[in-house]
Amino acid sequence: MEESDPTTRDSTPPFSGRFRTILRRTAFFGSVLVVNIVATLWLTDLFWLMGFQNAHTPLVAIFALLNGMLVLGSFHAIFGAFDMLLGRKRSVRISQLAEGKTGPFSYRHAVVMPVYNEDSVRTCARIEAMYRSIEATGNLDSFDFFILSDTRDLDLWVKEETSWTNLCRNLDAFGRIYYRRRKTNENRKAGNIGDFVRTWGGNYESMLVLDADSLMDGADIVKMTRIMEAYPRLGILQTPPKLIRGQSVFTRLQQFAMRLYGPLFIRGLNFWQLSGGSYWGHNALIRVKPFSEFCELPALPGREPFGGRILSHDFVEAALMVAQGWEVWLAWDIEGTYEESPPTLVDHLIRDRRWCQGNLQHMWLIFARKLPFSVRMHLFMGIMAYLGSPIWFLFLALGTWVARERVSSDLSILPFENYAARWFHINGVEQSIILTMAVFALLFLPKILAVIGAVMTGSIRRSFGGGFRIIIGALFETIVSMLLAPCIMAAHTLMVLSIILGRAVGWGNQNRETDGTSWGDAFRFHAFQTILGIVWTWIALEISPVFTAWMSPILLGLLLSAPVSVWTSRSRYGRALAKRKILAIPEELNPPDIILLADAAHAAVDPALDASLHARRGVVAAVVDPYVNGVHVSLLEHSELTAADEILAERCLSEGPAGLSKSELSELLYLAPAMLMMHRAVWLRPAERMHGVWTQAVESYRRRLDHSPSVEVS
Amino acid sequence: MGLSPHPLEPFRPLSEEELDEWEEAYAAVEAYLQALRLRNRLLVAELVRGILARASERQKSEPEKAARLLAMEETLSEIAEWTQDVLDVPLENRRLAARGRLALLLAGMPGKWQGVFLTPAPWPPEFVDAMKKSYLAAGPKFAELSMVPKPLEFNAIGSGAAQWWETMDRQPIIRLMFVILLVSLIAVTLWYFLLD
Repeated sequence: MEESDPTTRDSTPPFSGRFRTILRRTAFFGSVLVVNIVATLWLTDLFWLMGFQNAHTPLVAIFALLNGMLVLGSFHAIFGAFDMLLGRKRSVRISQLAEGKTGPFSYRHAVVMPVYNEDSVRTCARIEAMYRSIEATGNLDSFDFFILSDTRDLDLWVKEETSWTNLCRNLDAFGRIYYRRRKTNENRKAGNIGDFVRTWGGNYESMLVLDADSLMDGADIVKMTRIMEAYPRLGILQTPPKLIRGQSVFTRLQQFAMRLYGPLFIRGLNFWQLSGGSYWGHNALIRVKPFSEFCELPALPGREPFGGRILSHDFVEAALMVAQGWEVWLAWDIEGTYEESPPTLVDHLIRDRRWCQGNLQHMWLIFARKLPFSVRMHLFMGIMAYLGSPIWFLFLALGTWVARERVSSDLSILPFENYAARWFHINGVEQSIILTMAVFALLFLPKILAVIGAVMTGSIRRSFGGGFRIIIGALFETIVSMLLAPCIMAAHTLMVLSIILGRAVGWGNQNRETDGTSWGDAFRFHAFQTILGIVWTWIALEISPVFTAWMSPILLGLLLSAPVSVWTSRSRYGRALAKRKILAIPEELNPPDIILLADAAHAAVDPALDASLHARRGVVAAVVDPYVNGVHVSLLEHSELTAADEILAERCLSEGPAGLSKSELSELLYLAPAMLMMHRAVWLRPAERMHGVWTQAVESYRRRLDHSPSVEVS
Repeated sequence: MGLSPHPLEPFRPLSEEELDEWEEAYAAVEAYLQALRLRNRLLVAELVRGILARASERQKSEPEKAARLLAMEETLSEIAEWTQDVLDVPLENRRLAARGRLALLLAGMPGKWQGVFLTPAPWPPEFVDAMKKSYLAAGPKFAELSMVPKPLEFNAIGSGAAQWWETMDRQPIIRLMFVILLVSLIAVTLWYFLLD
């Protein structure tokens, strides 16, 4: 593993020099700081004119923080636009290291997909597409694929085994695509990847880490691998995944926004982070050796939720790599990188709960030694992504308090000049309008820049279905996201509060498909937002109609949170929009080859080996079906049948799988002799000596096989 | 495998009860062969008949066993022995039965080699090769790397906070006092900024 050697690494000149890095970061953060200071002074000056109250002090402090985050976000887009105007040749692009490079690879590389209670047919379809796509480049020999299962649902475990076996059979990929399941899912996804590295990591120079919903183009995977081999200083190469396959209005909004505005932010991010980038947990190539040396995550002080195991491992792994001198780059021009998103606002918020806790844990790392500036900035931005919501909530609540105080005290504008009046000859109303306009400009500038750029560039305009559709889509997205923002703010505020109160989260699997949120669920889930909206509207009306009008975007978002949540969750509305090409993305209008490959992939489905039929699903199939049993037992370690195992197996035969606890059934599924004994028993014993579930499964084979399998599938 | 043209000959004349019993045995064996995805009805019928013939032979010496049990025992042992012969490995333990079934699946028996199933040697070399090459592996050879967590090095603030946090975790009374202090501080702050 010569290339992972720090000596080789340090003797390689850096792709981006230290001077350029310092210059860019100074320009970027200097601009953010200057604009934020000006805006904060402007507000302070306005408060001075109104008569400075004690409550204005926290308002100014919170404004500085919130506005700072807003400016930081907007300036990513502004600098991104600037970088785009400079042109591709003058931008810093790590992938240029792969240009002109052909021929076989010097090392072997792994493609790893951790899965947790996923639809195995769909995950295998993605693996199949990537396998075929890499095969088309002629570099398949250098790659091994791993499906790393942490699945706890026992039926899904068996289905994963059958899907994988079918995949390998139909692609002739035994010895190239592997499947392993962990008996205990210690330390979740980070532990799953860590287990792979500890067991097989030594075989590979790098690993492409995917999510269960990730999809990447083979040519791009090969390109990334060439960069990794060409540049020994590189530790992690992250790609910017695009959201695809959105069915509901919510996912279509998300994927449209990310596709249209995302490139500006990505370019802006690359502008300042350069070699000190971050890792987003998937669709990234990681050099295995340094990862194994430095990225086993330490436990944080104390217990969960703030202490204990780190939930959001990705940022920390990148931080540890950068801290040890390995470079982490964002390959912004890698196009063929995709993922899917939660289908509804409710699912999105459930996922956010986990991410929120993970990101808040990063507060400990802010105080860690030896972390470079870029790492601390990434951690800070990650924390503020969630902490920003309660701060915004506090700002609005304080603002409401001040307005109420002002109205009840009958104070008028004081008769003296403030700085704005003296220098710019404007009154207080004009001053507040200017500040509001500035804030709105910062909010909407990224969208405006992105729309202008897309409409003016022929290829982008056409890829979105035309300029009209871009503008309509952007307007629609802006309106709905304005309605969603207060609801998300309130939800994040609750999340942060519950974490502060010591409630840790579990590790739920992600819902990737849905028919939508029911009204009952929506009102239950958004009860806090709705009640808050009603109370706040009443208070605002008590203060004044003008104040209510100022607050209306927030109040409307809160009041309508349940209806908006339901409406955006509906796939039928999403399909109606798709039919009119509204919120369409280029990947939908003109799907790239890798998506078509994944759509057509079906190697994991084969009636010869199937554990998904109604009468014999999952665990039942693993016992009854000769082939599913054969596959399952072949993947187990050999052991002897003990008396206790036999008793457990007999209980399962007489009481059915439902008669055993989940842990008992899991234990039984790991016992090869017991599984074989049960297979024999269900075929040999008369119906009256075993549970009906087995008899039914055996009976299900008595139907002629020339019946269409689809009839049997439930 | 030496099929008898009339498997039930030794038992004739058969009572209704015996007929039902052998019908049950027939259905069970047929179901198992269908579970192995044998699609050809003629082939299945022929295999079932052969298995029932052997089961009926056994029933003469084991009259206490039900026809279905005998027929299914015959089915499973015949398949295990036959796959053992094809794979040319000793049947060391029951696990080989699973290995045999796996080999049948991976060699594509249901799709390509139905006609070969349970027939005597010689078998097509291509089929034997495919059977012998079939195996499952969860991963390649182990190539282990160690991953040892390194403790986080905090600066002075971080170290102090960590120590304080762990103390609060260990001692609930201190945690309670801290919470009271924090709530009081928030109350005083609110009073100062909002009510004063």
